[in-house]
Amino acid sequence: MQIHIRCNCGEGTCQEWGIVELQGIVEPNPSFHDSLQNLHIGTLCRPSSQEVYTFTVGYHELTGSKVPLKKPLLVLNKIKKQGGESGSSEVELRVVGIIRNRILFKTRPKALISSNTSLLSFPLHYIVLWSNI
Amino acid sequence: METKHTGSKGAEALLHLSPGSSISVAYHPVFGSHDDVILLELDEKLLPDVLNERVIVRGQPDEDAVLCTPSKTYAMKFVGTSNSVLLVPPENQSKSYENLQESDGNDDVKKVVAPVIKVVPGYMELVEVAPRLDKLKSLLLENPYKLEEYDAGDFEENEESRTGLYNWNNLIDNIQASDEELRSRLQSLSAVEINGYWRLVHESYMNMILEMLLRNSVLNDWLLDALNEDEVVNMLETDGFPGILARHCLHVYGAKVDDSMDSCIWKLDKRRVCIHFAREILRGGKRKLESFIDEWRQKTPDGMDPTFDLLEGEVLTEKLGIETWVSAFSVSSLPSTPAERFSILFRERPRWEWKDLQPYIRDLKVPGLSAEGLLLKYTRRTQPSSDAEPVFSAR
Repeated sequence: MQIHIRCNCGEGTCQEWGIVELQGIVEPNPSFHDSLQNLHIGTLCRPSSQEVYTFTVGYHELTGSKVPLKKPLLVLNKIKKQGGESGSSEVELRVVGIIRNRILFKTRPKALISSNTSLLSFPLHYIVLWSNI
Repeated sequence: METKHTGSKGAEALLHLSPGSSISVAYHPVFGSHDDVILLELDEKLLPDVLNERVIVRGQPDEDAVLCTPSKTYAMKFVGTSNSVLLVPPENQSKSYENLQESDGNDDVKKVVAPVIKVVPGYMELVEVAPRLDKLKSLLLENPYKLEEYDAGDFEENEESRTGLYNWNNLIDNIQASDEELRSRLQSLSAVEINGYWRLVHESYMNMILEMLLRNSVLNDWLLDALNEDEVVNMLETDGFPGILARHCLHVYGAKVDDSMDSCIWKLDKRRVCIHFAREILRGGKRKLESFIDEWRQKTPDGMDPTFDLLEGEVLTEKLGIETWVSAFSVSSLPSTPAERFSILFRERPRWEWKDLQPYIRDLKVPGLSAEGLLLKYTRRTQPSSDAEPVFSAR
């Protein structure tokens, strides 16, 4: 069996996708479990001209940075094509994008307090750290 | 399909966030598990091959998939992550950003959105591996080309005669190797393409053709290092052999020395011819060294003058009492994965001296592992004294 890897973008023009990576899991507020679509997760902010970012999720603020990947990641889409006469389905992988950078948050989250409490009284998400499980 | 929403920018917004600004990271309107979206990590140097559609994934459903470039083979390994990896597609790949829910009431964060389409559980990484070619020989041995096939007027196509036959496409469907690696192995196995199918020619049939070629060269005073292809092929065809196999015989036992003239000039390769006859003699089982050498000298063409060192990696000798015996043990019949290779070697002989072992392992190639590394991993080396030959046994 062979699976072809197709690419429509041609060299150099592959669209770049993005990654936001954080340790632990982002746990949505239980009341949203059934309808995550469109739900706001957090606010990503770049306070200065440095590649330093903050990510505010619920009561927590993470600090991280934009890191180039050592090796690029290709985003592939697995497509099942219906094969002609035989009716058998043929699988093909299509290159839909490339990832060269990620915004990585690997520090422990800082708790946001007091002044913002009213805004955050109903957090959409919690960050659950692996060390806390 | 595409619905532009003011300020929504997808991955671009994420990757080019200007200093002093912020964006909302939100679930995509079609957020889900999207198991059909896979991440593949690869070396920058492989990128042109992928983007120009020169790579392909090969393997049967019960095998681990490999990715093949035109010349190399890579195992695909899944690397999982416990981090939350939020994947954000570029704007034109996102179908709609509408209906973003009221979030935490912070107005200015809703204008620009990086939509997360899935949380990625991990990615596939590529590890260069040796091609998995051991299956090739057994496929080709299902239906080797024999004398009877030609006598039966084979060249007509029928279903029955095609069982166990493989054309190039059948082979690349079945074998986990790059095109280049597969071609090179077909050549080293002395396979030949006949009527579109890759075949091994039965040993006894090859023997007949070679013996006939040598007989003709004696009768016609041909020089074995200057054989005229047209003459050889015409003569063998007159003797009842198919032309394609006559040519194949020159390829297997000889090398082209000159093709500047109308007809190519070939030189028979001493080593290959001598090995062929040694195999023929030992096909019946092991032989005493002296009688083997006598018969071998007799069978090989005059002037070739075979010496025992030609048989490195082809035969083993053992002392039984005062007699030395020779038996066939060809490196080409051994598996190419190191673990299997060493297991068969140590089953044949529990202890090996380096000079005996070397011809049976020098062809082993494992990306990222040196010859010394292989020995360390699969053998135990003992050296009774500093001036004694080291001996290798199973770990």
